[in-house]
Amino acid sequence: MSERRLLLELQDVQAGFGSQQVLHGVSLRVYEGEIAAVLGLNGAGKSVTLKTIGGVVGVWAGHIRFAERDVTRLSAEERVALGLAHVPQGRQVFPDLTVEQNLRIGAYALRRRDRGRYAGVLDGVLQRFPVLSSRRDQPAGTLSGGEQAMLALGRALMSEPKLVLVDEASAGLAPIAVEKLFETLREVNRSGVTILMVEQNVTFTLKLADRAHIMQQGVIVYDGAVSALDQERVASLLGVGRLLGRHVAAAADSRREEPAPGPVAASANGKAKNATLPRKRAVAKPRSTATTKPRAGADAKTRATGSKRAVAAKRTSAKPKAATARKKASG
Amino acid sequence: MKRGARYVAVLLVCSALPPILGRAGVLSSLRSVELSIAFCTAAAAISLNIIMGYAGQISLGHGAFLGIGAFTSGLLTLKGPQVPFMVGVLAAAIAGGLFAIVLGLPALRLRGLYLAIATVGFAFMMQESLFKWSRITGGSAGIEVPRPRANAFVFTRDYDYLAIVLAMFVLFWALDSNLVRSKLGRAFLAIRWDEPVAQSFGIDVSRYKLGAFVLAGALGGVSGAMFAHQYQFVNSSTFDFNNTSLLLVIIVVVGGLGSRVGATIAAISFSLMPGLLSWLKGWDLIVGPVLLMYVVVRHPRGLGAAMRERAEARARGSKVVTAEQSMPKLPAMPRPAAVAGRPEVLPGAPLLEVLDVSVRFGGLQALDGVSLTVPKGSIVGLIGPNGAGKTTFFNAVSGMVRPDAGAVRFVGADITKSPPHERVGLGIGRTFQLIGLAKDLSVRDNFLLAQHLFAGYGSASALLALPRATRVERELGERADQAIEALGFERFRDTPVLSLSHGQQRIVELGCALVTAPDLLLLDEPSAGMSPAAAESLAERLRDIRDELGRTVLLIEHNIPLVLDVCDEISVLNFGRILAHGTTADIARDPTVLGAYFGEAVVA
Amino acid sequence: MGETIVIGLANGGIYGLLALGIVLVYKGSRVLNFAQGEIGGLGLYLAWAIVEKGHQPWILGALAAVVACGMLGALFERLVVRPLIDAPRLTVTVATIGLLLLMIGIELHVSHGSPEILRGPIEGLGPKIAGFYVSPTRILALAALLVIGLGLATFLRRTDFGLGVLAASQDATATRLMGIPLKRVSMFTWVAAGMLGAIAALLIEPQIGAFAPGNPMTALFVRGLAAALLGGLTSLPGAFVGGLGIGVIESVVGDRFVTSTFPGIQTVAVMIVVVLVLLLRPQGILGRSRA
Repeated sequence: MSERRLLLELQDVQAGFGSQQVLHGVSLRVYEGEIAAVLGLNGAGKSVTLKTIGGVVGVWAGHIRFAERDVTRLSAEERVALGLAHVPQGRQVFPDLTVEQNLRIGAYALRRRDRGRYAGVLDGVLQRFPVLSSRRDQPAGTLSGGEQAMLALGRALMSEPKLVLVDEASAGLAPIAVEKLFETLREVNRSGVTILMVEQNVTFTLKLADRAHIMQQGVIVYDGAVSALDQERVASLLGVGRLLGRHVAAAADSRREEPAPGPVAASANGKAKNATLPRKRAVAKPRSTATTKPRAGADAKTRATGSKRAVAAKRTSAKPKAATARKKASG
Repeated sequence: MKRGARYVAVLLVCSALPPILGRAGVLSSLRSVELSIAFCTAAAAISLNIIMGYAGQISLGHGAFLGIGAFTSGLLTLKGPQVPFMVGVLAAAIAGGLFAIVLGLPALRLRGLYLAIATVGFAFMMQESLFKWSRITGGSAGIEVPRPRANAFVFTRDYDYLAIVLAMFVLFWALDSNLVRSKLGRAFLAIRWDEPVAQSFGIDVSRYKLGAFVLAGALGGVSGAMFAHQYQFVNSSTFDFNNTSLLLVIIVVVGGLGSRVGATIAAISFSLMPGLLSWLKGWDLIVGPVLLMYVVVRHPRGLGAAMRERAEARARGSKVVTAEQSMPKLPAMPRPAAVAGRPEVLPGAPLLEVLDVSVRFGGLQALDGVSLTVPKGSIVGLIGPNGAGKTTFFNAVSGMVRPDAGAVRFVGADITKSPPHERVGLGIGRTFQLIGLAKDLSVRDNFLLAQHLFAGYGSASALLALPRATRVERELGERADQAIEALGFERFRDTPVLSLSHGQQRIVELGCALVTAPDLLLLDEPSAGMSPAAAESLAERLRDIRDELGRTVLLIEHNIPLVLDVCDEISVLNFGRILAHGTTADIARDPTVLGAYFGEAVVA
Repeated sequence: MGETIVIGLANGGIYGLLALGIVLVYKGSRVLNFAQGEIGGLGLYLAWAIVEKGHQPWILGALAAVVACGMLGALFERLVVRPLIDAPRLTVTVATIGLLLLMIGIELHVSHGSPEILRGPIEGLGPKIAGFYVSPTRILALAALLVIGLGLATFLRRTDFGLGVLAASQDATATRLMGIPLKRVSMFTWVAAGMLGAIAALLIEPQIGAFAPGNPMTALFVRGLAAALLGGLTSLPGAFVGGLGIGVIESVVGDRFVTSTFPGIQTVAVMIVVVLVLLLRPQGILGRSRA
């Protein structure tokens, strides 16, 4: 494992809005090359954390270091010039500007640094996101949600950033778009871009990120590898374990007593098929079970309670049902 | 009665002083004129303050109403019928009010900047057309306006007329004071803070906005008449746009939006300043605007907001720490007489029925054939990820959004098309995620606001502080105090809601919602911002509401454990469709719930 | 009729110039600049002082006015607009009212209220179009409108900074997140607005004859505002279209109705257009529906 450089560091950051303090001393580190995620319930402070890193929300106490510089007092614009890029909450593409104009704006910092590189970078981004290439001259407001997400990400990449901050990018996106986003983010990270993402969608995050920072009420309560987590542990870390745990256990118990579902098959990559229902759609691929998780298993279940829907849920069960699941998967 | 007597006394003293002082040689004619104009300006400022300060609607063309009133009174007292002064003034009020309707009706559809432009357009239209209609108004030559007369005595001397001006000013002051203490004033302030919140209190926002315009226009007309009889002359440029309309805006903004005292002081200062600084010729028109810009920059949300901000800052230092405040028991308020006529529903029978409702916003189908039934006496939870359509659903039930298809029935009656402010009267109460209170008002004022529908008196009673209004207000006040005591919030009675912690605000909000004796309570993310312990306390209170108070609850929540804990039935919503519905036991075993909770994309 | 239309178009050029400034400020700061006309009015006094009192050529006075008004815009931006960057837009609009009255106050102080005249750059009757002599300054105004309008549009769409200005008008926060300094965008907007105000006033003056504090720029501002609304508060080409539109409407109405029996009928007509636009299509002819 090569020596990993510290790219971003928050030291005991306190911040808030008006009279309300939201962050009560947040410390975290992001290393070059990784995908780090900040998880938490509504109101835990994950979005505010990202906004203090971005420079949009002022810090009341503590420090932020980025690329070996203390950026605590720097403006948002100055941080962008240092190599920070944003995929804001809600994507926030410029609706009346064309796709290309949006990308060009993303390159503002780049063009001031080194105008000559612009054409090459633009080409690269268009190649990576073919949908943008085909919609080059369309106003960004006419793109679908998923396409706008691609545009927001492409726009962020135009400045050749060291770190990309992604704020709840999956919110409001249809499942297929979420899946595409997931793949794209992974690819972008593999090409060397460090990503720090804030997410509500726990499943999505657990599949994508290397490192998780879980927040509760303005402080970090877990900081470590994603591989050490499972959904139950996440639930308890998020602060809802007590009640939810009760129900998770009750549900697990009740399911143990039920006969194995017949026409439902679950594959290792989580796609649910149900012969009795006319429609279904794939859910984001889970991480392959071959890696470090001891109790990984895909388990799918459908229920018809009067309304039509297909559901795939990845769950960990108390007993090693993994073996049975995997058997079903290959079947 | 004591208040009324006080005002009468002040009025008598004020009107007696100038003539006496004038005859004694103490008060010169010149001074009288200056004071007269100063108080006329103050009266005009008070009238503008009603629409801009209280109701929060921008009005940049107020000079038009002054002109309308001036010409009306002037013409009627000068020509033709040569009516007495008081009749002229009354006519000025009526004319101002009528023209305000003309401006107000289109203004209802406009907001913010566009409203500002509309008021400018209105003023310009008046200035360039009506006021220049020489046949009637004499155009730039203008008309002479006679001084008032009482039988043989004419108020020719300026100190005599000053008495009339002061008397009228005291009347304005009294009217304004009555306004603010009545349901009218509270309604205006609620509208200024947030219109959907005002509607949830049962306030017909359109009607009240129009009312504010009419009141401001009528009083503006009267103040214009007062000017006219002082100058004894009015022409098309007397109340021109820059010198009147815009100057009044400066006065009201500098003086403090929403402050009668501030507006008066600012008006008098601006009026007297040129005289006082006569050696600095022309500087008043430089100092004034600079002062305006300074005030605006220092207090961007208006001086009224500056006071709120000060309260907030004070609160930041001394906020009552509620580390883990458990929610107090919510008050069991007796049903007010006004709701006695509501039909009853048996427990378990459907109280609210949402039938196949669809809502579309542009290209987005927010709700797609959603059906839900809430049985009386139950707590029903609605969960789903962000963007699922939960808030749209609530808006359809509370009336903020009209469904494109489907129906909403409450106690069997179809309410799909009834406006939001009516639904409170029907028995549907609502809370908001960001706390649906008029936050710049005190806790007590909010409890008074919550009883808006039970304030059984009219505008005239309100403005004149008639016995009926006073009596009803006292009753409302008693109920408010009862509720505040039941919550244990006596020490916060006069605190602006803004200064309370989020949890305390939520308590007040729930208390206010219950004061209206609703049969159905719509709670929008009530546990937002609460610690898990506080949420548990909330859960207990919700059970109280169902069991002890006999209400029915429908709640939107992100806090799944709370929902599983407290609800009798749960519906899961995503992509605008109901995905699952059942008892807690069913849903708890359903991976749909966990999926929704963990943000898994749950698909139909 | 042809004559009426020609007059209308010629006047429209002037309204369009004012509208251009109004639209620019609206796009850049989401604020309605009530002082857009009167800034130019102050510039007129400066030009008058240089040209008539100082006996310098017109172009010198004009340049001085344009520069001074630009600096005035910069000053206002720095002292008022920038501190209010997070304030409600209506608040800043109220501040521009203060600016408007301040301009008038300064003018009154400087001139003691007496009207003055500033001769235009080009004398003479000008060419005859559709049987009507169109003065050279009117043609100049139309030409200026076209050139400036096109120039602005190109600058905004083709340069990085210009794109930044456009982006800022659509989403200020996102613009900051792209690393674009909002302060500079804001400054540019107001400097340009000041300069446009001066140019408009300079080109209008020869038609009007005598100018006095608050006159004629305020009345013209209202027409410029109507033009901007009609064309679309967010559309620069709209300012052009709206200006011509208002000019023609006004001219036709003035032709049909005798002003002595219906005083101010032209103003009423323009205001009716304003009200109709506000009620029926607030985004104007060329604007987007999301203002």
